[in-house]
Amino acid sequence: MQHSLKDDYANCVKNYTNQFKDNSFRKLACNDFKSWPGPREETWRLSRLGTLSRKKIKPITPNLQKTINGKSKHIGSKIIKFVDGAYRGDLSSEMPLGVNLSSLNDSESLEYLQKLKKSNLNHHPSTNVSLSCTPSIMKLTVKKNIKVKDFFEIIYEGGEESQSVHPVLYVELEENSSLYLIERFNHFSTLAMPLQLTEIRNKASLNSIKIFNDNKETYNLSAHCVHLSEESNLNSFSLIKGGMFTRSETHAYLNGCGSKLSLNGIYISGNNQHHDLTTAIYHDVPDCISKQIVRGVLGGKSTGVFQGKVRVAQDAQRTDGQQMSRAILISENANANAKPELEIYADDVICAHGATVGELDDDQLFYLNSRGVPMDKAREILIKAFLEDMINQSVDNSLHDFVFKEAELALSSIIIKETL
Amino acid sequence: MSLLEIKNAHLKLDNKNILNGVSLSVNKGEVHAIMGPNGSGKSTLSYMLAGRDGYELEDGEILLDGKSLSEMEADERARSGLFLAFQYPVELPGVGGMSFLREAVNSRRKFLGEKELDHLAFVKEARKEASKMFVKDEMLKRAVNVGFSGGEKKRFEILQMSMLKPKVSILDETDSGLDVDALKIVSDGVNSQRNKENAIVVITHYQRLLDYIVPDFVHILSDGVIIKSGGPELALEVEKNGYSGLINAA
Ligand SMILES: Nc1ncnc2c1ncn2[C@@H]1O[C@H](COP(=O)(O)OP(=O)(O)O)[C@@H](O)[C@H]1O
Ligand SMILES: [Mg+2]
Repeated sequence: MQHSLKDDYANCVKNYTNQFKDNSFRKLACNDFKSWPGPREETWRLSRLGTLSRKKIKPITPNLQKTINGKSKHIGSKIIKFVDGAYRGDLSSEMPLGVNLSSLNDSESLEYLQKLKKSNLNHHPSTNVSLSCTPSIMKLTVKKNIKVKDFFEIIYEGGEESQSVHPVLYVELEENSSLYLIERFNHFSTLAMPLQLTEIRNKASLNSIKIFNDNKETYNLSAHCVHLSEESNLNSFSLIKGGMFTRSETHAYLNGCGSKLSLNGIYISGNNQHHDLTTAIYHDVPDCISKQIVRGVLGGKSTGVFQGKVRVAQDAQRTDGQQMSRAILISENANANAKPELEIYADDVICAHGATVGELDDDQLFYLNSRGVPMDKAREILIKAFLEDMINQSVDNSLHDFVFKEAELALSSIIIKETL
Repeated sequence: MSLLEIKNAHLKLDNKNILNGVSLSVNKGEVHAIMGPNGSGKSTLSYMLAGRDGYELEDGEILLDGKSLSEMEADERARSGLFLAFQYPVELPGVGGMSFLREAVNSRRKFLGEKELDHLAFVKEARKEASKMFVKDEMLKRAVNVGFSGGEKKRFEILQMSMLKPKVSILDETDSGLDVDALKIVSDGVNSQRNKENAIVVITHYQRLLDYIVPDFVHILSDGVIIKSGGPELALEVEKNGYSGLINAA
């Protein structure tokens, strides 16, 4: 019985693809999605999709007239909107000189698929389902030598109950270009499966902020593949706070010498939320740096998962890889799992990792109390400090306040719940 | 009525008797010194007074200005006017010194029914007090106690005391880890706050500090009881003969 229900979504996906004429890449992707990954698959063991697999869901047919009446809080001066997973030029800004946004044609889409198939996201459900069902793959290109001053903000919204949305994005930073990119996930659908491929060419630099803040019933299974070329730089920060179940999975390939990666994240979880930050960093060439700081605050009956793989290939000498994860449980029923995984095949490397899960520090609480600060306030101060400390270290100065405010909003709702 | 009254305080930690009947009366305007060898229970006494979790009295009573403290949590005791300068001040990564001070001061003001200070007024006041303690602006921008030297930590403790204007201050080994210059700054800071309305309890292992902060009374704590009380001359006796002579005589 359960089996046939599971196949149900796969069938819906298959039927859905029939409507497209350009379906060479869709067919290939679709054939690779038979069912949801089960708990026996190692990377899904801590984030199980049993409940999702029992839901009746089908891919959405985007409503191209739909506008969202929510309060917009743009911080970027260039907006790119996806509604129901479809790019909406009518709701997006014009691209400035040196930046291009367009959809991929058939053969380009096939190439896109092949790149993902060569990565370790080849089996990810979002790779296969979203490539089957996306309205089109959108490509954002920053041309050679262009340093974009404006903040770009991509807003993903829309979606309906019992439906899934499939925005697919390709970001390419050509040589020596740079971009600030903010992405906000505000879906209303039962399921969102954003897929992204990012290629950062030689000496290019990307500053990326992602804010996962989907509706409280939403499952978000984001998949992101990143390639870094010589002396390129990615500073990436994800804040996971919304949704019922959010898993942000990123695979970053350092395949150009001298490239630098920061792959940082915070999750703030309450109620029955399940938040998962899964990352894999592949050092395939010498002289690259990767830094990763992950912090979580968990209240209610929430669960947090951090899975961080770092693989250093035999040739990747003089790699510097640092990973540090800490989770603070502010309720007895919350739960955090950290699974660092280091595979090091080179001998001349500096790699360090540490993972802790704990509660707020009693000495620190007492110190604040002894200064007259009430317990609730003391807890709040320490939790905020725990995150602010990290945001200061890992987010570009110009975006501190914005990111911290976003975190603060989520915190206040889970802290209030814990102290009632 | 005494400002601080400790009556027959008994306390166990880990099922071990640590305080075994401490009694002490401190009146307005007085400075008391509690001296004792390491492990005699000095810090335990100060944590007990400040209301740390796990340091509840087994037996006995403590009163601040006539009000029993036993039922009050640490934060309420502090807002009521009790202050503890820590022997080992705690690091608070991510909590800026200035906002920490402001949080503390405004908690106390709210309790006293005074208006909370606005940001500018507060910063002005804090800078004024800080300069008296030779605490630089730059230090107030840093996270509380993170990367502070021993002397900086103690100066920051006394700065907090001067901002909070407590009724009773307990200074737990404020002299430890200080060189002579720092000791002088810290002592001057404490002395400038002595007045007819408040009281100070100085806890120390060594007599040295009492040359700078001259107490009205000295008490010797040993194995969780006060075995002898007297005037400043008692501290000199400790200096000359050590604790063992006094303890053996008791
Ligand atoms: N948390 C604790 N549990 C059990 N014993 C403790 C604890 N803290 C301190 N003690 C013991 O209590 C005694 C008094 O310690 P303390 O008050 O720190 O002494 P002092 O400050 O005078 O050096 C010591 O014997 C110490 O080992
Ligand atoms: Mg001590």
